[in-house]
Amino acid sequence: MRASDYVGHAWANLWKKKLRTVLTTGGVVIGVGSLICMFAFGQGIQRNIKDRFNELELFNYINVTPRSGGGPRSARLRRHARPQPAGDPNESVAVLDDDLLEELTQIEGVEAAYPEMRFPAQIRLGSREQFTLVQVVTSKACGSALVQLRAGRAYASDDANEVMVSDSLLRRLNVTQPEDAVGREIEIRTVVLDFSLQSLARMAFGRGDQRLPVSNRVYSFTIAGVLERMGFGGPLPIRSDAFVPPGAAAGMRKLVLTGVSDLFQLPEETAGYSAVTVKIASTRQVMSVKASLEERGLRTFALMDQLEEMQKGFIIMDMFLLAIGMIGIAVASLGIVNTMVMSILERYREIGVMKAVGATDGDVQRIFLFESGMIGLLGGVFGLALAWAVSFVINQVVNGFAAREGVPFIQYFSFPWWLCLSGIGFSILVSLLAGIYPTRRAARVDPVVALRHD
Amino acid sequence: MDADGFIQIEGLTKVYSSGPVEVVALRDATISIGRGRFVGVTGTSGSGKSTLMNLLGGLDTPSAGRIRVDDRWISDLSKTDLALFRRYTIGMIFQSFNLIPSYSAVENVAFPLLFADVARKERIRRATELLAAVGLEARGHHLPSELSGGEQQRVAVARALVNRPAILLADEPTGNLDSRTSRQIVRMLFDLKTERGLTIVMISHEEALLREFADELIRLQDGAVLSHETLRDRP
Repeated sequence: MRASDYVGHAWANLWKKKLRTVLTTGGVVIGVGSLICMFAFGQGIQRNIKDRFNELELFNYINVTPRSGGGPRSARLRRHARPQPAGDPNESVAVLDDDLLEELTQIEGVEAAYPEMRFPAQIRLGSREQFTLVQVVTSKACGSALVQLRAGRAYASDDANEVMVSDSLLRRLNVTQPEDAVGREIEIRTVVLDFSLQSLARMAFGRGDQRLPVSNRVYSFTIAGVLERMGFGGPLPIRSDAFVPPGAAAGMRKLVLTGVSDLFQLPEETAGYSAVTVKIASTRQVMSVKASLEERGLRTFALMDQLEEMQKGFIIMDMFLLAIGMIGIAVASLGIVNTMVMSILERYREIGVMKAVGATDGDVQRIFLFESGMIGLLGGVFGLALAWAVSFVINQVVNGFAAREGVPFIQYFSFPWWLCLSGIGFSILVSLLAGIYPTRRAARVDPVVALRHD
Repeated sequence: MDADGFIQIEGLTKVYSSGPVEVVALRDATISIGRGRFVGVTGTSGSGKSTLMNLLGGLDTPSAGRIRVDDRWISDLSKTDLALFRRYTIGMIFQSFNLIPSYSAVENVAFPLLFADVARKERIRRATELLAAVGLEARGHHLPSELSGGEQQRVAVARALVNRPAILLADEPTGNLDSRTSRQIVRMLFDLKTERGLTIVMISHEEALLREFADELIRLQDGAVLSHETLRDRP
C-alpha cells in the first residue's frame, strides 16, 4: 500500500467520524498547545535574558576587585603588584586608582575601564524625598550606549554640577513626565561619619537615630537627563537611580561603603575605588583579558563564567515546564487510545474484509497507525496555533498592565522554528505511541470471526 | 473429480476447541478440483461448508491435512504469504456481501487494489470496468445502502474479481436474495467462469440451482465428504 493511500484512507476515515475526530484532536490540541506554550514561555524568558545581556553587552564586562581581603582601601601600596604567593601576609595589593585604570585600558581587548563608587543619599525634588544610592559615573560612560536616555542629555563634563536620574526614581518622586524634570533643581543629602564633640554628645544623650555618629550634608544639582531604569540589573557599571560626575562627587562629603569594615578604616586608607568594571570589545576576548587581569593580582568576576550555570538553570526550567506540559499530553494520549479502540470495534467487520481481500497484518496495523498519526498531526498543527494564540493574548494582557508602570513591551514567548517543528513531531510521535496497542489489536483480528461480526 | 486437480485437498481436518470441548468442523476431507471447474458445495447447517471455504481461502489454518493450489501447499504458508495468496489468487464473496458501508460501489470494488500497490487512477479504471461487466456501470457512485441486495452482491462479485484471481470462493452468495435474483447472480458467476476461465467453489443450500450451473457437486455431512458428483464433463 502506498504512503499516499494510507494518508488518504486515514483522512477519509477520520472525516467520516467528524465529531469524534474533533473531540479527540481537541484533546491533543490542548495537550500539545499547553506543552508548546510552556516551552515557548521558557524559550521567551531565556531569549529575553540573553538578548538583554547581549544588548547591554553584559557578557563584555569584567568586574575587578583587589585580590586580598580587607577591601581595597586596606592597601597601602599605590601601585599594583605582580602576582604573589597565595596567603602571603605581606602580599602587596593592587589599589584600584586612576593609574591602574589607565593601565588596564592598555590591555589588548579592553575598551574602557570604569570605576565604581556609590554612596547612600536622600534625594529631594520639590516636596518629595526618596532614599537611594547615588553612583559616581564619568560623563563619558553616561554619554555612551550604556545609558538609555528618556529625556534631556548626559551631564556636560566630569566637573559639572549636574545629576542624571532614572525614570523610576522620578515616578517615586511623583514626576510622571521625564521631560518635566529636566533642568529642575534637585537636592542630594549625604550621610557622613561625624565624631565631633557635638555628635558624641548627641550620641550619649540623644534618642533614636540621633544616637548614630552621623550627620548630613546637602548639595544642590541640576537634573541634566532622565534615563531608563535598567531591567535585570542593567549593565554592570550602571545600576543606580541617580548619577553624579566624579568631579562633582569629589567635592561632596559622603559615606562610601563597600562593607562594614569600611567604618573602621582611617581616611588615608580609603584611597582608590572599591571596584572597577572593565569593558571588553568582544566576548571572544573576555577570557584572555580576564587571565591578564588575574596575572596582575586582581580578582575578577565575569558573567561569562556564569553562562554554563545559567544554561543548566535553563535546562532545569525547561524540564520543569515539560513535566507540567506532559500531564496534558498523557490525558490526550488516553483519548487517542480510546478513540482508536472504538474505531477498531466499529470497523471490526471492515478489518475482516481487508484481510479477506489480501491485507497483511502489517497493512492493517499501518492503516490504523496512520489514522492515529493523523490525529497527532492535526493536534500538533492546531496545538501550535492554540499556543501562539494563547501567548498572544497573555502578551497583550501582561504588557497592558506593565505599560501602566512604564515597563517597555516584552515578548514573553518565543517560538523558534525548531520548537514549532518538534512540537508537531512530538504530537505525531505521542499519537503513534498511543496507537500502538489498539492497532496491534486490529492487526491480530481473526478474519473468520470478523467477517461474521454484526 | 480430477485426480490431478488444480486444487488438491488431502485429509483436511479442522477442530475448534472451546475450553475442554472440541468440535470437529471438518473431518479428513479429501477433494480434488480441476482448473476452470464450477464446483458446488452443499450440505446441512454445521456440515462444514463454511469451514472448508475458510480453509480454502487461507482465512483459517487446518488442524490436520493439507491444501495445494496449483503448485503451492497453502497450508504451509506463513501469515503474510497467506495474505498475499488471498490477494492475488483468491476472490471471495459472502452471503452478507460485506461491502464497506461508507464507500461507494466503485470504491468498494477498487478496495483490494489498495493492498496491491495499484495507482489510484488505475484502481478506478479497473473497478469501473468490472462494474460494467456485472451490469452496474450506472451505479458506481452509489453507497451500498442505496443498492438492492442483488446489486450489492454484484458489487461484491466485481470486488472479488478486481485482482484477477484464479479462484472465486462464494459462501452462500444467494442466501440473502430472492430466487429470481439468486438465479441471476449464479448465472453471472457461470458466465464469468466461462469468460475468464475461473475456478469457482460455491456453497449453497439450493441444490437445484447448483445442479443447473455447477460442473461438480460436493455434499458434506457432519464435516465429512458424503459425495462428490460430476454433473458435467469438461467441454
